[in-house]
Amino acid sequence: MRALCWEGVGKLAVRDVPEPRIRAEGDIIVRVRASSVCGSDLHLINGYLPAMREGDILGHEFMGEVVETGPGVRRHRVGDRVVVGSVVACGGCWYCRTEQYSLCDNSNPQPVFTEKLWGHAAAGILGYSHAAGGYAGSHAEYIRVPFGDIGAFAVPEGVPDDSVVFASDAMPTGWMAADFCGLTGGEVVAVWGAGGVGQMAARSAQLLGAERVIMIDRFPDRLATAAERIGVETINYAETDVLEALRELTAGRGPDACIEAVGMESHDVGPTYAYDRVKQAARLQTDRPTSVRQAIMACRKGGTVSIVGVYAGLVDKFPLGAAMNKALVLRMGQMHAQRYIPMLLDRLAAGEIEPGYLATHPLSLDEGVHGYELFEKKEDGCLRSVLHP
Amino acid sequence: MTNNGTRWALLGVTAATAVGVGRAVARRRHRHQPQRQDGWYVVRRAVTVDRPRDEVIGFWADRERRDRALAGWATLRQLDERRWRCVARDRAAGETQWQAEITVEEAGTLHWRVEDGPMPQLGRIELAEAPQGRGTEIRAEMRYRSGPLRRLVGLVGGDEPDLALRDALRRAKALVECGQVLDTRDDPSGRSRAQEKRTDRMRETLMTGGRA
Repeated sequence: MRALCWEGVGKLAVRDVPEPRIRAEGDIIVRVRASSVCGSDLHLINGYLPAMREGDILGHEFMGEVVETGPGVRRHRVGDRVVVGSVVACGGCWYCRTEQYSLCDNSNPQPVFTEKLWGHAAAGILGYSHAAGGYAGSHAEYIRVPFGDIGAFAVPEGVPDDSVVFASDAMPTGWMAADFCGLTGGEVVAVWGAGGVGQMAARSAQLLGAERVIMIDRFPDRLATAAERIGVETINYAETDVLEALRELTAGRGPDACIEAVGMESHDVGPTYAYDRVKQAARLQTDRPTSVRQAIMACRKGGTVSIVGVYAGLVDKFPLGAAMNKALVLRMGQMHAQRYIPMLLDRLAAGEIEPGYLATHPLSLDEGVHGYELFEKKEDGCLRSVLHP
Repeated sequence: MTNNGTRWALLGVTAATAVGVGRAVARRRHRHQPQRQDGWYVVRRAVTVDRPRDEVIGFWADRERRDRALAGWATLRQLDERRWRCVARDRAAGETQWQAEITVEEAGTLHWRVEDGPMPQLGRIELAEAPQGRGTEIRAEMRYRSGPLRRLVGLVGGDEPDLALRDALRRAKALVECGQVLDTRDDPSGRSRAQEKRTDRMRETLMTGGRA
């Protein structure tokens, strides 16, 4: 079969690779119908998340059709149209039992690296480096999904592939970001990053009761899309001082909750950003925490900072004093896909969330390398390239 | 005079640094060394399984489930009412095999002895109830005879008994909780055979040892 493989830092290629096989009773094989690029793939491609190996198949946000099931699979049959959560979860450990699926104890078969880096290993993730288990990814014609009964969900009739594909990752990540904020109604929420996850977080915050959502980015087309599609207020940080603008927009209070949906390669303007670039290039810090710093400084006293942008290791100049003295609540994590996907599919079918507009560039698998170029350089108004093997 | 003073100051700083670094290294080494008793290395490792004690015992007593779970890496044969023989195959350590005799002392307590392994080894496992309804703690204590150099070679090569114990506990937890030990070694990739071999070696490093 054909698959989009990582060939070294900054290098991708479409290759012929063997087809996956059922390896365990709970496995299913899915013929991929739509597989989206994701901002966190860029960290892998550019060598910021470690433990990638030449030949690894990328892709973790996808949907498709079940073509084979292991003998232990009960919920799915051949021919089912399914969307699959990016996070692999066993369904049997304490974390899965308490719906904290991205912390699954048993789904990362190669846990030693992250145990050393983080103290404990988190769950495995499909197509997400050997630190996350070494699973083959979804930018391929077929993919093996372990624990198919836990990780795959039947897609409601009538919801298009290029819409439901985002129920795999961007929607649950965005929902979890808003869920972390503990919204009770009437809050002002600021969201850093107007990509797919940021826009889903903004919509989720609205559905959970936020009165106003303010999005921060530097790309006018992304901000315009968010304003038009979701009805948010926007700040372009390349033109405006974000902290001052947020103070003004909230009459001095600061946002009640700040969602960071950018991650370890965040951008900014000014000398601090240059300093972060140099430190990251010299590997003196692994991640650039620019937008986390801003979120902490901007957040109102006693508010919540919710981090769903991906970070891997160490950051510098983290304003812990501000977080401590303002009594902020910091919440963060990889999304618990299996907890949120069923509810999100219902909302998708009911039209409450419509993420299909994120798929600005539907492409064939063979155009995958171009798809990532468009996505990384934000060319041609690209929000997401979605590959159709 | 100034030169002499500078020399003495440099010497003092160097000596203080050397003593400080030496002590820090020694302390770290001491913290990471297993305990030694009468020529044995003694290690204690534990893992928490999210199942009640009876269910953990029941899993290993259910022959069909157990054999299905162990297929591919170990076989268990009952010798008499209390004694079992375990033959394990370790794919990560180049398909090596080892045999152990396991004796059940009482429900939830057993000990084992490796007879034909590269170094004498014996151990004991006890099951204890975890707090807050978090299931069962599997607590293992293992003794093995080895020397510092042999232990170092084993740690580097990935076939040291302490690493194997941690692997075994993690596998036992996974088998009881979800019925399988995941493995991505045969997932598709765009690698050549030589690249795949190198990647498998890296996988083995990432699969071996770590927290129990």
